[in-house]
Amino acid sequence: MAATWVRLSGLATSLLYAALIVWLYASQPQTVAEVTGGLTATIGAYRIDGQSFDDGRSFFRKDQFQEARAAFQRADPAQRDARTQFYIAYSFYRQGWGRVYNDDALFTQGLEAVERAIALAPNQRLVVDDPELGVRTGDELRAELQRGLTHDASDLNPLRLFRRRL
Amino acid sequence: MSPLREALVLPCLFLTVALLGGLRLGPEVRLLPPPAGALVLAVLTVGALSRSRVLVLERFLHHRRSPLENLSGALVIGTLLAASAQVFNVVTPDRGLLHVIVSVFFVVQLLTTLAGVRDRLAMLRSVTVLLGCAFVIRYVALESLYAPGRSLMKRVMTALLEGVTLGAIEYEPAGPATGYLAFAALAMFVAGLVLLDWSEPDVRLTPEVFRLQPDATGELTVVETGRLEPSSRVRQPAEPD
Repeated sequence: MAATWVRLSGLATSLLYAALIVWLYASQPQTVAEVTGGLTATIGAYRIDGQSFDDGRSFFRKDQFQEARAAFQRADPAQRDARTQFYIAYSFYRQGWGRVYNDDALFTQGLEAVERAIALAPNQRLVVDDPELGVRTGDELRAELQRGLTHDASDLNPLRLFRRRL
Repeated sequence: MSPLREALVLPCLFLTVALLGGLRLGPEVRLLPPPAGALVLAVLTVGALSRSRVLVLERFLHHRRSPLENLSGALVIGTLLAASAQVFNVVTPDRGLLHVIVSVFFVVQLLTTLAGVRDRLAMLRSVTVLLGCAFVIRYVALESLYAPGRSLMKRVMTALLEGVTLGAIEYEPAGPATGYLAFAALAMFVAGLVLLDWSEPDVRLTPEVFRLQPDATGELTVVETGRLEPSSRVRQPAEPD
């Protein structure tokens, strides 16, 4: 009887361990925070740090984008929250936006962040209900970042100088 | 073999090898799944281990074992397969001509071992030497040759090598921490092989094989009614003290 229990518990432990390894290989976490965050998100227990998120949004509204990103990253160290990742992407967009030209490096990072945010959203539909934002969906922000990274003849249009930042 | 060793220790040991085998701790952490070539090498390794009786399959999968015992036996074999794939993944350069050369070397070596080595100890020695040499080539020689901040002589040597092979030889250093992890993975793999139960299965005198039957004088005699497994051996009784 004891041997049966040992076998059953060994089997359960091994299967759980194997599942963890498969998950690690599939998700490729870079930090311990991403591992723990990913595991807690899998069972629906992941929560962001609300205080840091509010700090980040406050910096974001004051156009202090680097400070905002630091706070957002503190709020969501595992990069598992779609809304926080959306704000990070938006901060890259606003910081990289220029009337004459955009900063491609910042836009590229923004695109990566918004892709991550969309992937995390339920059914990949991401809507952020914040009246102070120019665009409120992941799809719009992604399209805006992709347009900013595209170089064509319309870049020479002088009317670009009058466009507005979203 | 104790149920604890079979159901918990061996699978966990081999799963840890499977985890560490793909881990690369460079500027960024990467987990590399085994390439298709490593899977072929793993199958060859398990075949060679079985042929040399390092892995006695009947000890893990047999019709006399209960379904639960067979399940845990199958898990051991499955995790051994995964660990074998990852030990070859960890000692093989990740890409380029070196990856191809080392993979071909492993295939040839394993086929030779499969054909020639029948003894358990010889097989264990062979696997240890094979993996040990591959570890030294990758994590001592190549890592030193391609390490960042290497000397002028080494840079000239690698530039010459790349020039001669028209750029086919490329090697990306995995970082010193990966070397330590690879060593731990290889040590655990060999330890797991040593821990595998290698004793030959006993023949049980069950009614399907033998039966006691009274003869004409009324004495009971043992009558063989079944067939012994070809690989089974009857254990000789111990000499009385």
